Amino acid sequence: MTTRRIDADALLDLATEMLRSEVLPALAPEQRYAGAMIANALEIARRALAEEVEAAEWTLLDGLYEEGEGSTAQLARDIRAGTLPKGKERDIADALRTLLIAELRVRNPRFLASRGIGG
Amino acid sequence: MTMAASRPRTLDPANLDPLQRWLAQAVDAERAEITRADLLSGGAVQENWRIDVAISGGPRAGSQALVLRTDAVARLPMSLDRPREFACIKAAHAADVLVAEPIAECAEKSVIGAPFTVQRLLSGTAQARRITRDPKLAEYGPALAREIGGQLARIHSIRPPQETLTFLPLPEPDAVGAAVAEMRRALDKASEPRPALEYVLSWLLAHKPASRPVSLVHGDFRTGNYLIEDGRLTGILDWEFCHWGDPREDLGWFCARCWRFGNDSLAAGGITTRADLLEGYNAISDTPINEAELAFWEILGAARWAAIALLQGQRFLTGGERSLELALTGLMPAEMEFDALEAIAALEAGRPIP
Repeated sequence: MTTRRIDADALLDLATEMLRSEVLPALAPEQRYAGAMIANALEIARRALAEEVEAAEWTLLDGLYEEGEGSTAQLARDIRAGTLPKGKERDIADALRTLLIAELRVRNPRFLASRGIGG
Repeated sequence: MTMAASRPRTLDPANLDPLQRWLAQAVDAERAEITRADLLSGGAVQENWRIDVAISGGPRAGSQALVLRTDAVARLPMSLDRPREFACIKAAHAADVLVAEPIAECAEKSVIGAPFTVQRLLSGTAQARRITRDPKLAEYGPALAREIGGQLARIHSIRPPQETLTFLPLPEPDAVGAAVAEMRRALDKASEPRPALEYVLSWLLAHKPASRPVSLVHGDFRTGNYLIEDGRLTGILDWEFCHWGDPREDLGWFCARCWRFGNDSLAAGGITTRADLLEGYNAISDTPINEAELAFWEILGAARWAAIALLQGQRFLTGGERSLELALTGLMPAEMEFDALEAIAALEAGRPIP
């Protein structure tokens, strides 16, 4: 028989649902902003369980550095110093955009939707 | 006995005598009687009180609705303290900018327990979402933006030197270079590398326009920081980020994609098109600006908000401030970076920016 666990994802999902359906409507007006922020934080934490961001980072870095040698900190320094290969600016910008989309899927999917990028 | 107040309070509504005496003297009156004193919401780090005063004698005799503001307990970096902000408001008022009339200031702690300023109370709403979701916005948005543009031009007509504003440091001749250097310092303080923001900053340096004469810059001029009533502008708020700088900075901040509050296609603050805003601005300003020129400053505005949000997140990460609001703000730079990259891509493809 397979084991079923109540995992963090399900717990956070439930907590958020309860917060939104039962707690938020009952809050006094001056507490609603805090309540909405808590719901938002729970949803971000839940989506952060996905590891899409890390995958996108490695795709970006492996296109620019020897495998396993790059880091976002190194890339940030190289961009500022202007030491990345010339003529690759557009490629780098496109790869950075892909990385941001992966981050925003966790941080704020509604923002992406407002920019015409779906899930 | 303890009070359940979430922040310290200065003004004590049960002991208004010292304030009444001070007010009477400050407005050359025989007597000032406070008939109402309510703590207004909205000041997390400062207190704003509405005080209604019956004034007898002197040039302001009659009933007056005023706002008393104390200084912020913890200010954001770069922000002016209350007396300096008040000096900027006075300069703007003298230049016919629509602001809450500055009436008096008190540097002493003895009157209410903290220094404070007093201005006339303005009516209207500043709530950005309420403005951008108003069904009547389509009717009044264009005229409102022209009015706002004209006000910005008046602010920018204030140029150094100004005797009352000597505390404002004169900027470096290279405004963009200085702004980028400041944002890079923010990046250096952050524990999270942001290569996309680095990219945007390098692009800004490589594409910086010729500089303009320095003028007074509001520094946080966006929807949410002005009041409107019945579709008309009633006042410009929040002067604590005032500085000498490039006037185009304010226009770019106003139009930056992060300040449109759901009305993404209405570039001028989510209320109308850029053309309306610039029409109002150019009708009054002696140094007109066009939409093509504005694009650079919108990208700079997006980068600036990304850098500020990054620093807010850093306060949560390493500053020991357990604030959910700071943490959530700290996750926002990706949004502004995305918008900036999209705008740069559009410019490089010869398209107007979103």
